[in-house]
Amino acid sequence: MTTLSTTPVTEPAEAAREPLATRLHRWAITVDHKRLGIMYIASGLVFFVIGGLEAAAMRAQLARAGNDLISPQVFNQLFTMHGTTMVFLVGMPVLLGFGNYLIPLMIGARDMAFPRLNAFGFWLFLFGGLLLYFSYIGAQGLYGASVAPDVGWFAYAPLTDRTFSRGNSTDYWILGIMVSGFGSIATGANLVTTILCMRCKGMTLLRMPMMAWMMLVVGVLVLTALGPLTAAQVMLLFDRHLGAHFFDPQQGGSAVLWQHFFWFFGHPEVYILILPAFGFASEIIPTFSRKVLFGYPLMVAATVAIGFISLSVWAHHMFAVGMGPALNAFFSAMTFIIAVPTGIKIFNWIGTMWGGRIRFEPPMLFATGFVAMFVIGGLTGVMLAMVPFDWQVSDSYFVVGHFHYVLFGGTVFAIFGAIHYWYPKAIGRMLDRRVGVWSFWILFIGFNLTFFPMHISGLLGMPRRIYTYQPDRDLELWNLISSLGVPIQMLGVSLVIWNLVRSAFKGAPAGPDPWDAWTLEWSTSSPPPEHNFDASPAVGSARPLWDLKHPEDPDGRYE
Amino acid sequence: MSERPELPYSREVPTPTAWPLVAAFGTALLFAGIVTNLSASVVGLVLLVLGSAGWFRVVFPREECERIEPTGGQIPVLPVPLPPREAPRKRLVLPVEIHPYRAGLFGGIAGGIAMGVVAAAWGVMEHQSPWLPLNLLVGAVNPTLASASEAELAAFNPGWLAIAGGIHLVLSLLTGLLYVVSLPMMPRRPILFGVVVVPVILTSISWSVMGIVNPAMEEYLSWWWFIGSQVAFGAVCGVVVSRFAKVSLMKDLDLATRMGIERSEGGRS
Repeated sequence: MTTLSTTPVTEPAEAAREPLATRLHRWAITVDHKRLGIMYIASGLVFFVIGGLEAAAMRAQLARAGNDLISPQVFNQLFTMHGTTMVFLVGMPVLLGFGNYLIPLMIGARDMAFPRLNAFGFWLFLFGGLLLYFSYIGAQGLYGASVAPDVGWFAYAPLTDRTFSRGNSTDYWILGIMVSGFGSIATGANLVTTILCMRCKGMTLLRMPMMAWMMLVVGVLVLTALGPLTAAQVMLLFDRHLGAHFFDPQQGGSAVLWQHFFWFFGHPEVYILILPAFGFASEIIPTFSRKVLFGYPLMVAATVAIGFISLSVWAHHMFAVGMGPALNAFFSAMTFIIAVPTGIKIFNWIGTMWGGRIRFEPPMLFATGFVAMFVIGGLTGVMLAMVPFDWQVSDSYFVVGHFHYVLFGGTVFAIFGAIHYWYPKAIGRMLDRRVGVWSFWILFIGFNLTFFPMHISGLLGMPRRIYTYQPDRDLELWNLISSLGVPIQMLGVSLVIWNLVRSAFKGAPAGPDPWDAWTLEWSTSSPPPEHNFDASPAVGSARPLWDLKHPEDPDGRYE
Repeated sequence: MSERPELPYSREVPTPTAWPLVAAFGTALLFAGIVTNLSASVVGLVLLVLGSAGWFRVVFPREECERIEPTGGQIPVLPVPLPPREAPRKRLVLPVEIHPYRAGLFGGIAGGIAMGVVAAAWGVMEHQSPWLPLNLLVGAVNPTLASASEAELAAFNPGWLAIAGGIHLVLSLLTGLLYVVSLPMMPRRPILFGVVVVPVILTSISWSVMGIVNPAMEEYLSWWWFIGSQVAFGAVCGVVVSRFAKVSLMKDLDLATRMGIERSEGGRS
């Protein structure tokens, strides 16, 4: 039962004439999933620039041996804030933002299941992030005021104990992430409910776009993994402020317990960050290969399998702790096993491209780059699953190179692909193709220049999280190459941002279906109206727009 | 694209509200007070209560919604009626025929035996022990073998034999299955694929990671013998696999038929 009032639709031109304050107010009070999605993505991109600048500062410091551009204390803050920002304030919000924007459109729904909870989740994320960054102004630390957290993004105990982490900068880390995490939990619940309960007529689970499957599993993982992290953070607050000793080994607590709590969140988190990227690739690659996604049912099974198995691999981050052969062997085996469904996806994307009429538009370039870079990151991940090898390179730059291939080469490339793909839908205008191609290649070169040498410096013995190194360790060349890649990446990212801003005003009109795609979001106007669809859609296959365009050969006959 | 009648329709959307924003800001302030000032927590609590109450009033007893009229410019989506079923089209029969999986298992075992013979020959001729190659294989899971002496590695060790046998068996079976699914991709050059391409690929991978995965083996290994053992595996496995008749993947049949629950019209289940 609802109460109804009739509101005239605000035309875009009419909206543009509104005073800025009015427009900002409309955005601030919105509960529309599309606006919230855009706000998630825009906020995430702002944090991405901030986190990127922090990384650039670190690479400038490491460009040559014995450098003193940045003090050890500031370096500790930089890698802590960089990691925390990229994981909690960039990866999650941008990906959840895409989920927010796309899922109702893809499944033919009016909005998310809980629109106001959706807004609540976004604002919690934003205020959590601002609280974390307020530490630069308000926190007190061992070295005085204005101190950001410096305990690393996984904040290992007992470093977080008050004995070793004086002042309250660590508390800012705990509270900022916790508040932001509440927002993620709200969004996770919203995604799961929306996907399970609000699909349009005819859209069975096995007719959902692959992206919807990915976000369903992501929602479940968010609900499963973030709770233990929040609980551990509350326990850590108790340790720091109320005299508890959960993670204090000298008082009977266990520092390893924190690691278990953290990585029980932390490894599913990797899949929370990569599964939506899989979803992007699974939408983009078929469209630009002009072929149906190869092995859709197997992709679904692999996605669900990844969701389950990802909950039992967390301790592969802890091989060097000394858990014993039995646990090491178990988590090593599970890590090998999770490579199987992940590998299935790779083969399926290649199978989709195989024999297709591939169009290398910017979204496809980024998606292809994602597959290639993710394969490298995945293979080094399999190498790290071998306990003897992990012991050799644990906490070295090899690990840094590995996870940047997964999270930057994987997630960020896929995000840029998704931005190029769905920007015309969200804004109603096309991005500049030439700038998109240039930004891809520049970013691709800069990325590989930065992160591939890290594998070599790591194998040569360079530990992660050191602010400098000695000149006689054969590390200078590799670090210099890594640092030289950074300005190239910055140029690539700047081009993407410039393209986004410029095309919003000067881009060619997109129309509802600029890529000749097949999923429901391309049936509505660009940008979609507040209510998404004038008429409630009903589908007869996984590619309803294909069916409309090819009524002589609809997909439904093959299901 | 088929013409469809425009459906009269209007949509209801939730009324915009600031209460979630207020509640979220209150929550953030509530926690921020822990690290700033207690008064921040008090203000945060007040805002959280206010925001929650306002939010509650928006949805209770009836959810506030706005009705928005259709905007047009969309492609109405309804299911397309399915044409009568006809003979499978090209995109239905894309998956090719493959050798049965058991061919891969037999091929893997046969290839593994051939590889073992070559490896044992290398052990006897260069190190006077057929056990050395097997013991070296254990180094992949037991890093302590990197410091073992040659005499220890050349000696018979039943535990190591069991581990090495297990590793060799699993790898042989998996590689056999790889042959099963990949040989049909090169139907014109099966010998080239089995005897040259796969051994070259596997040797290249092994060469690049051997020092990391198994330092003990890298120290003793003769790469020419290693390539020889790979070729022996590829030749024997390839021949065994290719002697099995190919079977259809039955991709055009439904799941129940493929699982053997129902019999297909063609009687293939």
